[in-house]
Amino acid sequence: MKRILKKGIEHKKARWGWFFVLPSLAFFAVFSFYPIVNALYTSLFRKRLLSLRPPTFIGLENYEYLLKSPDFWNSIKATLIFTIGTFIPILVFSLLLASFIMSRKRFQKFFQMAFYSPAVLSSVVAAAIWLLILDPRGLANTGANFLLGTKGIDYKWLASANMVRFSTILVYFWKYIGYFTIIYITGLASIPQSLHEAAMIDGANGWKDFWHITIPLLKPTTVLVSIMSMLQCLKTFSTQYLFTQSGAPLEPINVITLNIYNTAIRDHNIGRASAMSIILFIIMLFFTWLQFKASRSGGEVDYM
Amino acid sequence: MDIVIWTLLIATALLILSPIVFMFTASLMPARDIVKMPYRWIPEELYLDNYAQAIKGNDGSYIYPRNILNSFIVAGIVSVTTVLLSALTGYGLAKFPFKGRNLVFLLIMATMMIPFEAIMIPLYLVATSLNIQNTYIGLILPFLTNAFGIFLMRQYLITFPDEILDAARIDGSGELSIFWRIILPNSAPAVATLAILTFRSQWDNLLWPLLISQSEEMKTIPLYIVKFAMEKHTNEGAMMAAASIASIPILILFITLSKYFVSGASLYSSRKG
Repeated sequence: MKRILKKGIEHKKARWGWFFVLPSLAFFAVFSFYPIVNALYTSLFRKRLLSLRPPTFIGLENYEYLLKSPDFWNSIKATLIFTIGTFIPILVFSLLLASFIMSRKRFQKFFQMAFYSPAVLSSVVAAAIWLLILDPRGLANTGANFLLGTKGIDYKWLASANMVRFSTILVYFWKYIGYFTIIYITGLASIPQSLHEAAMIDGANGWKDFWHITIPLLKPTTVLVSIMSMLQCLKTFSTQYLFTQSGAPLEPINVITLNIYNTAIRDHNIGRASAMSIILFIIMLFFTWLQFKASRSGGEVDYM
Repeated sequence: MDIVIWTLLIATALLILSPIVFMFTASLMPARDIVKMPYRWIPEELYLDNYAQAIKGNDGSYIYPRNILNSFIVAGIVSVTTVLLSALTGYGLAKFPFKGRNLVFLLIMATMMIPFEAIMIPLYLVATSLNIQNTYIGLILPFLTNAFGIFLMRQYLITFPDEILDAARIDGSGELSIFWRIILPNSAPAVATLAILTFRSQWDNLLWPLLISQSEEMKTIPLYIVKFAMEKHTNEGAMMAAASIASIPILILFITLSKYFVSGASLYSSRKG
C-alpha cells in the first residue's frame, strides 16, 4: 500500500517536472535548435533575400566560394587579430589589477566598481564616446602627443589600417577589463589564506608567493577568463559596426559578424551568409570544447 | 611598494572612468569647446541645448523619447519572462525527478554554444514569415529565456530544503502555488541578479533590433544612437547628450544595485558541472 502511494507521488512529480520544463524546451526548439539547423540547411542553397525565385540546391558551393574568397579570409584575419590582440592584454591586466585590489585592505569595493563601470554601458555608447576621443582633434591625439613627447601629430586612430584595429581593441579592452578583474577577484578569494601563510612561513616573499602559489592555483580561473574573453571577442560587432558606419576603413576591421550582417542585409545573399554563420558556429564550438577539456584537466584545484 | 600599488590603482581608476566623465562633461558643452585642447574637465556653464537637440532629433521629430520607451518596454518584458521561465524550468530540473531529466538539462545547456550571431539570419527569416518585424513581439520573442538563467536558477534551487516543499504539499498547496508563493520569493537574490543582467543585456542589444526594427517608431536606444551619430547635423555635444541619456538609467541601476552586477560577473567563475 505504501509502495503504491510512493509510486503515485513519484509519477505525479515526474508529470509536474515535465510541465515545468516544457515551455523552455519548446522555446529552445523554435529559437535555438531550429535556426541553427536551418542555417546549416540554407548554407547549401543559393538563396537571395526578398527574391521570389525558389532557392537552388548547390551543395557545398557556398563553402567552396568562401574558402577561396580573399574577402572571407580577410574577415578571419581581422577577427583573429582582434581576438588575440584583446584577450591577451585582458588576461594579463585583469589578473594584475585583481591582485592589486586584493592586496588592499580598504577601498576594494570602490575599485571594483570603478573598473567595472564601462561594462554596464551599452556597446554603442562606448563606441560613440571613443569616436569622439579618437577624432583627429580629440583627446587621444592630445594624450598621445603628451605621452610620447611629440607635437601636433595626428595618429590617425580611425583612418590607418593598423591604428583602427588598435582602436577597436582599445575600446573592447576598456569596456571589459573590469568584468574580468572581478572574475579574477572571485578566483583569488577562493584560494585558502592558509596556503599563503604556509608559503610565508617557508620563507617565500610576495613575488614568490604570487608566482608559485597564486598563479598555479588560479589555473581554472585563467582558463575560464581566456575562453570567455575569446568567445566574447569572436562575437564582436557593435564597435566595428559604428566605426565603419562613421567612415573608418572597413577592411581592417571587417570581422566575421559584420561580414555576415553585410552579406545578408546589404548584399541579400542569405545562402552565403548562412555558410559564414556555420563556420563561426564551428569556430566557437571548438573553443567551447577546449573550455570543457581544459577545465577537466584542472585536477584538484578545479572549482569551475 | 605600497605607495606604488596605490598610485597604480588610482591612476587606472581615473583612466577607466575618464571616458565616462568625458561623455557627461562634453554633453554639457558647446561643440567648439569639446575639441578645444586642453580639454576642460569641468564645463564652464551648463549648456543644455545639446540635450534639447538629442531629444528633439535633427529632424525635430521627437522620436528619441519613443525609442527610449521602447528600450524600457523590451528590456522590462524580457527581464520578467526570463526570470519566470528560468525559475520555472530551473525549479523543475532541481526538484522533480523524471525520466530524461539529465538529457533535458544537457540540451538546454547545449544552446549556450549556439551564438546568437550565427542564428540571426534564420531568426530574421522566421520573423519575416511570421510578419512580426517592427513589433514588440518581434523584438522580444527570441529572448524569452536563456540557458544561463535556467542554469543559475537550478543551481540556486537545488539546495532548497525539500521539507518545506513537502510541508506545503501536506497543507494542500498546489504545485503552481508552491512555485509562486514559496520558490519565487525565496530565490530573491538569484532572481534579482538574473533580472538585472537580462535588463542590461537587452538595453545593449543592437544586432537584433537592427535586423527587424525598420520604422523609426519601433527603434530602440542603440539604433537611435547609431542613426544620430551618422547624421551630418549632429554635433559632438548633442551626440554625447544622447549617449548620456542612454546611460543614466543603467548607471543608476548599477550604483544602487552594484552587488547584483558584481555577483552576476562572479557567478561564472563559480559555475559547477
